[in-house]
Amino acid sequence: MAELSDIANEFARGEIDEFIENEDERKEIIDLYAAASPDMQDIAATVLEGDNDKSDELTKQALDNGVTALTVMDDGLIAGMAIVGIKFRENFIFVPEVLACARAMKAGMAHIEPILSASGVEPIGRVLMGTVKGDLHDIGKNLCIMMLRGAGFVVIDLGVDTSPDDFLEAVDKENANLIGMSALLTTTMPNMGKTIELFIDEDKRDDVKFMVGGAPVTPEFADDMGADAYGDSAVECVEVAKSLLKKNASA
Amino acid sequence: MHQNTHTVESMTSRQRVLAALRRDPVDRTPVCNPTSVATVELMDLVDAHFPEANRDPHKMARLAATSHTELGFDTVMPVFSIIQESSALGCKIQWEGKDNWPTVKMNEPIWLEPEDIAIPDNLCTHPDTKCVLDAIRILRKEFGDDVAIIGKTMGPWSMGYHCMGVERFLLMSLDDPDKTRRCLDKFKESTILFGQAQIDAGADALTLPDHATGDLVSGEYYERYLRDMHIEFTEELKIPLILHICGKTEDRMEYISQTGMAAFHYDSKNNPCNSMDICNHRISLVGNINNPQTLYSKGPEEVHAEVKENLEAGVQLVGPECAIPLQTSIENLKAIPAAVREWHKEQAARN
Ligand code: B12
Ligand SMILES: [Zn+2]
Repeated sequence: MAELSDIANEFARGEIDEFIENEDERKEIIDLYAAASPDMQDIAATVLEGDNDKSDELTKQALDNGVTALTVMDDGLIAGMAIVGIKFRENFIFVPEVLACARAMKAGMAHIEPILSASGVEPIGRVLMGTVKGDLHDIGKNLCIMMLRGAGFVVIDLGVDTSPDDFLEAVDKENANLIGMSALLTTTMPNMGKTIELFIDEDKRDDVKFMVGGAPVTPEFADDMGADAYGDSAVECVEVAKSLLKKNASA
Repeated sequence: MHQNTHTVESMTSRQRVLAALRRDPVDRTPVCNPTSVATVELMDLVDAHFPEANRDPHKMARLAATSHTELGFDTVMPVFSIIQESSALGCKIQWEGKDNWPTVKMNEPIWLEPEDIAIPDNLCTHPDTKCVLDAIRILRKEFGDDVAIIGKTMGPWSMGYHCMGVERFLLMSLDDPDKTRRCLDKFKESTILFGQAQIDAGADALTLPDHATGDLVSGEYYERYLRDMHIEFTEELKIPLILHICGKTEDRMEYISQTGMAAFHYDSKNNPCNSMDICNHRISLVGNINNPQTLYSKGPEEVHAEVKENLEAGVQLVGPECAIPLQTSIENLKAIPAAVREWHKEQAARN
């Protein structure tokens, strides 16, 4: 059982101590960090600090030193975003800070992605994300995308105002197995159902899982629309995505 | 807690609204929506549909009037969207259809740097801004002094989202506070120009939406970037201003109360009693009937309960929390003034 004091990076240690209050989450995060090498902890800290220059530099350095791309991603960048997500969910930080952390993660991922795709490593899932037709609220959707990427998913962002046809077209083209839809308006929420109906009509419903979210969406509404799952935050979006793909694999 | 009302002579809607904005005694609490009460049902009723009702002054005025004539609200408000001045500035607009609001395509920003921002002097002669001014004149002619006419001019923070893109703007606010201030300073001109034009056209009060909400930024942000600028608006625009920020705002209501604005239009994510305590009669509150869960999805009974909660807390003007969902039923909206009347009757009987 790892202890907080097993974590070498002082900044990361302080962040965990101050911001991760839930017992189970705290244990999980401490284990994650304690198992990572000090160099990887340093990379995680650059993400936490939202320092993209440092993240770029340290990621490159680690790869040059022979650390595998997967290790840098999992133990460094993803570990960083895990704490960011929780801090945002608990209102310790707000959207600008999350954007800065995601930018730092992206700076590191720029070195990782080409290596991973060249080596043919399978991502844990390919997700299509879009805000539904008629809706241009995208801040929540974009935070979900950042957290999904921060957790190792490949995400294809269909942007805002995404019609049922756009989702359908993209699913073939991108070979995705999970679709996430976001809606913030009561006028546009029914478009989630319309998208799922189109997939049923086109005999494609069994090929993909659907998850939905956005402030006015409720688990009941998600059910009514025929979605497979609902998530109420970016952190939950990642959990939901993982569990849906697990079900997919075992089905 | 609530104001003493039984000594006040009967008032017109306009008198009632203006008094409540000053926190003076009223004959009954006014019902007001400083954002929008447009619904599809109301559009059908007066044959003034979206998107035309956002661009044609006659349709705009006709649809706005329904909030008094059909629903019994004390205000009319012709600006149903938040895009009129952005359209005039050259932002790309998705006009949508009858059953959705128009919006700015924020992922196609028109400006990237403070130096790019240019608010033209003729901002208010563009068809999409002029439409609002003409609609206000039509409404003034129609209602004379009976009903309060509320205009709307967007604040600099929201203009930053529209013209520079939300994420770009928010990242800049973290990276470069100085640059952010220079942007806000320039956008300020748009707020003042469009606001003043609506005053000249006959508006009684102005809603000033500025989306520095707790869902996006910290309360400290509001103080750092916006409080002083909002004070400036109250000095420049000499009619009552109603600040609108939806979402969670209790953590910044203290600063908002310091602005000198007449009222704050607050969201259902905030508790009425706590909010009244924080504002402590320095600013009137307007709100905060929940849109998606209550007005849109439930019935008159639940609407009554939320109205009552606001009245018991002493909230000065009662109404929906933000632009109401377009599919909201007329029945639920009428329940707001009905609940206000009923509550005052009960109070009078008790006294
Ligand atoms: C910021 C904001 C805006 C910005 C949007 C900027 C942008 N690019 O997104 C601006 C100012 C432009 C705007 C415009 C409008 N808005 Co607005 N807006 C908001 C506000 C204040 C916050 C929304 C937000 O970004 N929250 C922060 C993010 C992080 O939270 P989130 O989106 O909920 O996402 C989180 C979770 O829901 C979840 N999640 C989200 N998506 C998904 C997807 C999946 C798959 C999963 C698992 C999870 C998930 O994870 C996210 C991160 O934790 C809300 C108020 C509120 N109470 O929500 C109103 C609100 C959404 N807006 C509203 C309205 C009415 C409008 C306008 C119509 C106003 C007008 N009169 O024109 C226009 C709409 C135009 C259009 N066609 O889209 C109403 C909607 C009422 C309704 N339900 O019908 C709201 C609810 C305000 C209110 N109280 O009534 N708005
Ligand atoms: Zn609002």
